[in-house]
Amino acid sequence: MKKTYRMLTLSLGVLLSVASTGARSQVTLNVISGGSQNMVDYVTDYLGPLFEKQNPGVKVAVVGVGPDDAGSQKILEKLQAQKAQPQWDVDVIVPNQQKTGEMAQAGLLMKYRDSIATGKYAVSQSSKLALGVNVDGYVMPMFESQTAMAYNPDLVKSPPSSYDELRVWTAKNPKQFGYNGLKNGMSGVAFVVGWMYAYSGNAAALQQGPYDAATKAGWSKAYADLKAFNQGVTFTPGNAGTLDMLNRGEIAMGPVWVDMFYTWKADGRLSPNLKLKLLSPGMPGQPYYYAIPAKAKNAELAKKFIALATSPQVQADGIVKRFNWYPGIDPNAVKSSLDPKAWANLFTDISPADLAKNAKPFPIAPFFTELREGYEKQVGN
Amino acid sequence: MPIALLSPALLMVGLLFVYPLLFSLAYAFRNEATGAWGLVNFEKAFELYSNDILYTVFILVLATVLTGLFAVAIGGYLTLGENRRTVAILRWLYRWPLFIPMVVAGQLMRTFLAKNGMLNNGLMSLGLIEPINAVSMLDWRGVVITFVWKQLPFAALLISGAMASMDRSMIESARNLGASRFHALVEIVIPQVKASIAVSLILSFVTMLSALSVPMMVIAGSPTMITVDMAWRVNSYSDYGVANALGFISCAMSGVVAWFYLRQSVREQSRIVAK
Repeated sequence: MKKTYRMLTLSLGVLLSVASTGARSQVTLNVISGGSQNMVDYVTDYLGPLFEKQNPGVKVAVVGVGPDDAGSQKILEKLQAQKAQPQWDVDVIVPNQQKTGEMAQAGLLMKYRDSIATGKYAVSQSSKLALGVNVDGYVMPMFESQTAMAYNPDLVKSPPSSYDELRVWTAKNPKQFGYNGLKNGMSGVAFVVGWMYAYSGNAAALQQGPYDAATKAGWSKAYADLKAFNQGVTFTPGNAGTLDMLNRGEIAMGPVWVDMFYTWKADGRLSPNLKLKLLSPGMPGQPYYYAIPAKAKNAELAKKFIALATSPQVQADGIVKRFNWYPGIDPNAVKSSLDPKAWANLFTDISPADLAKNAKPFPIAPFFTELREGYEKQVGN
Repeated sequence: MPIALLSPALLMVGLLFVYPLLFSLAYAFRNEATGAWGLVNFEKAFELYSNDILYTVFILVLATVLTGLFAVAIGGYLTLGENRRTVAILRWLYRWPLFIPMVVAGQLMRTFLAKNGMLNNGLMSLGLIEPINAVSMLDWRGVVITFVWKQLPFAALLISGAMASMDRSMIESARNLGASRFHALVEIVIPQVKASIAVSLILSFVTMLSALSVPMMVIAGSPTMITVDMAWRVNSYSDYGVANALGFISCAMSGVVAWFYLRQSVREQSRIVAK
């Protein structure tokens, strides 16, 4: 018995000392990604190893908390929980727009952009405003993503190019258009937002503000039309669900994320003949951000990490080439780092001119909440 | 002394279960914006989710009833079946879904029940339905099928256990006097295992009420079940108030079921005492 005890203590001691020496020789950079699995893979497979190679002794540990508001909400709650601590155990976060705005307002983020070399490339509107909240200086966009209508050209010869045409088309082809409602992923939310931009009559105010509590009173007609429209559509289970149903031929058309569409196609998970179209007067897209928590333990290292992630070369190789996202930083800086063919691939179905005209941001936060609740009340319930 | 021995367990239950439960029940009545207490959260919950609440009740009642019927049928066959081989096969087979987690069941059903999923493809290749008539069952039907499939072994396990421990002499005398197996099941067996049936169905009801993954994965669009709405309130609006109110409503649902059960068992207790 005594012997077993001694052995146990000994092995425990060895274990502990191994663990502590391991910790001493290595710094771990903790990254939390509030994105889909592909965004976690991006750090595990590409960015992390690249950074570790350039910085010996550093280990990049990434955790994925899931996409959309749900995932980023977990990051927000984690930071809030350790707010009183002198040092936080998260170094780099990748939150979505809505929650980044909330974190900036709650004082949970560090103002770091101007202290890194690539800060000058943050030129997009979304690098300054996140759904109407000022995040200028607190974030670097990781990439820009966009929703668009995916369709099967075998079934749809001349796809609708606007919401008006889509309504006519759906009336003629009931149940052939599918989307994932409001609670099953952002591509469905994006479709609803695009609908409201087309029919609420105040698209510009929704996107730029100012917020006015009286605005929502004028939305009932748009919702009533959407409710009638919903009678003739198929509901799909999620962002991936829409792509699955398109692929199985159960629907002929549906809103999807452009990056997901291209990635699935490249992986052979989608029929190669499916195509994309950006509806006018516009469908929303969103960036994901790199941010540093206000009291991150390894803040300097985090800055270095983000500087690498937002360098033109990494944006070209990682973001555009490998993952089919639109670059987060100034596209002109990225373009010169890419071969013309890879650059053109990004715009196969949707031209830069289409993007300039019909790619919209999501509404500013208070309108966005009201818009979704309005849907729940007047369309869903 | 017994209290001292119990205290770690009590503390654990109190801190990790009773306190958060009471806390969330109480905060269902709190208006986060103003800090006042009232029914604001409930008003909003009904305004936005009244359909979903009814839908949840409908799905749960239907799934519970079907689970009960099938579980009694399985238990009855295990008790009264005369072909040893089929009884053995059934006994071996029916427990399988018990070992499959809810979320996996949801994922299975999502591809199984889709319009061009395995079920419809199977039926088509058998020539039972035309491709044009194939419909997706990814709505309440899908959820009911998944719930029944998942809860059936659990209910059948409890019910067939109770049936197996019954005194068989009554069944045998009824059979000797010419009662069919169905009669023996309905008139002799079921009345004696009523309590076990009730317990298994109440536990199934509560399990299904708390399932988030299945409705989330199977139901496309709205209406949906209230667990999905609770997750949505928290994740999309950071609104714990309405989520708590919905939680209160689901506690009330399981409370009603528990009340029926308690009333039943109190009655039975008093009957035994009266005898």
